[in-house]
Amino acid sequence: MRNPWAQTGNYRTSYAQDTTIFANYREIVSIGLLLIGLCLLPTFLERSQVLVLNFILIYAIAVLGLNITTGYAGLISVGQAAFMGVGAYTVALTAPHLPFWLTIPLGGLTAALVGFLVGIPSLRVKHLYLALATLAFQEIFVWVVGRSPALAQGAAIPVEMRNFLGLEITFRNHNYFWYYVILLTLVVLVIAWRNLLRGKYGRALIAVRDNDRAADAMGMNPGRTKLFAFALGALYGGVAGGLLAYMQRAVVVEEFTLVRSVALLAMAIVGGLGTVVGSLLGPAFIELLRLYVERLSEWMKGNALIQSITPAGVDVASALLPLSFGLVIVLFLMFEPRGLYNWWRLIRSYFRTWPFKY
Amino acid sequence: MELVQNLISGVAVGCIYALAALGFVLIYKSSRVINFANGQLIAIGAFLAYALAVWVGLPVLLAMLLAMLLTAGLGFLVERIFLRRLVGQPIISVIMVTIGLASVLDGLMYLTPFGSGNFTFPQFLPPGGLNLGGLSVSYPQLLAIGFTAVFLLIFGWFFQRSVLGIAMRAVADDQMASMSLGVSVEKVFALAWAVAGLAAAAAGIVVGAVSGLNQDGLIAIGLAVFPAVILGGLDSVPGAVVGGIVIGILQSFSTAYLDGLLAQIGLVGGGSQYAVPFLVLLIMLWFKPHGLFGTEEIERV
Repeated sequence: MRNPWAQTGNYRTSYAQDTTIFANYREIVSIGLLLIGLCLLPTFLERSQVLVLNFILIYAIAVLGLNITTGYAGLISVGQAAFMGVGAYTVALTAPHLPFWLTIPLGGLTAALVGFLVGIPSLRVKHLYLALATLAFQEIFVWVVGRSPALAQGAAIPVEMRNFLGLEITFRNHNYFWYYVILLTLVVLVIAWRNLLRGKYGRALIAVRDNDRAADAMGMNPGRTKLFAFALGALYGGVAGGLLAYMQRAVVVEEFTLVRSVALLAMAIVGGLGTVVGSLLGPAFIELLRLYVERLSEWMKGNALIQSITPAGVDVASALLPLSFGLVIVLFLMFEPRGLYNWWRLIRSYFRTWPFKY
Repeated sequence: MELVQNLISGVAVGCIYALAALGFVLIYKSSRVINFANGQLIAIGAFLAYALAVWVGLPVLLAMLLAMLLTAGLGFLVERIFLRRLVGQPIISVIMVTIGLASVLDGLMYLTPFGSGNFTFPQFLPPGGLNLGGLSVSYPQLLAIGFTAVFLLIFGWFFQRSVLGIAMRAVADDQMASMSLGVSVEKVFALAWAVAGLAAAAAGIVVGAVSGLNQDGLIAIGLAVFPAVILGGLDSVPGAVVGGIVIGILQSFSTAYLDGLLAQIGLVGGGSQYAVPFLVLLIMLWFKPHGLFGTEEIERV
């Protein structure tokens, strides 16, 4: 490696290189530029656009967690939204007493504990059964919240935070303040994600996912490895839920239903399972899709021609969202199972080797 | 007496679950795919029957039969168009495709008037019901029980006697071996989906006759099938029936007895019949994940 700047691939020639996070200097520079760009981004955007960005980043955190359970451990989870809900309700209940930098980790830990309990079957059965355990948890969670007067029976519980270190958080700067909090959390969690999964534990997870019997023979405990992955995925979900609670200034149970869990799964698939880049691209794609589908259905509601050709009693607007989500999941799985990450990888490798193709 | 009355209504509801679970178990048995779109198949079957009977104006029984066949065709198409291409992909992708399909079918149903609003079948059963010494069994309930019994007999014959049924059992048992003996595994998969569609439509039609048609309600039945099959064992047909009936009885009892108890400990609003089956599912997964009749997986290296 004479000139690290002219490098065309990752040629790792020593153990020290093999253990680095970043393969080459370009990655460090590009990630630095990306971070600077993300820090400056809100200055160019309006308040409502920052709100969309906040949602994308929050879902990115939840999808990162889902990528541990589904992407790395190979356990389908249709309950990630419920884990977000556990975090959000923990925050809602503790926010009046504790500062936000305590309540959000607390929400994550509570979610991890619940995830641990839900994941117990993974000690005994193969991954397919666990999908049903998460489904059961998702349904029970929504039911319990809807029946508990302590949780307002699923109606909005306000989560207030008026000032932070003397900075007054008003209607005007609310979105901007939480943008930076969410961004910081995301960066910390991405670093943790990368470090955890490139180490011994992450390799154990991959081994268990690809062949649990062989992993067992090599001295790993498949059940425990999966259970830990499950709790960890729930922790990420809980943190995302806590941030969502503060960002929306309220907790409502509608945010944490099965539909949202499926949407999170769609984000993970569309982005590309098991990748950091995918965890960012997936939520961005799905959230923007949702935004535009909603705009389209608003437009259709206002358009007299379309109104006149739809038969009475048909609500086209509410049909578009599940239709587009489902189609995106199905089409990506059929035609691009590695997700948007794969496109990004192809583009990147094109520019890296430009002007020569190898 | 009240206990027995609740038991009867539970069995009637449970029969619907058993019917819906049957198709689910068939798919799982033959291809190891957990079908998350089962509830949508149930709903589509029921709506097709309604549309044929009311909008087209066919006789009710003919409409039901036709709806069942059409839903079977839909199941066949789903297998042919989506799942056949994914043979050889990790099973996780296949399951996630069924989740996506569920969403697509949901959207398609919202495009019809069925997406919003309630519908009831034209009255084809006499009102009231049988009176058996103080116990009343309504005709829709009898229909549910009878329908399920007939279906189970037909399925039993199909799997025990017919060549196709035996081929399906062979594929469920050992895909490789049956393939080498000349069984077309692809045909069996397609057939499993078709039969699943048929059974789902049957369940949907019975629900329609018992309690009316509503998209959310019908899809909820598809979800309640999961506790039933886990209870009975994911790969056991008799288990699906027993599990379905047990879940039905549990739901009936929890509406009758548990709601009041829960209100005392601070869970207001009732509706524990929606949560109890899933609690059963979790508990079963904790303690006996292969269910009452399921085969425990023994792995040989």
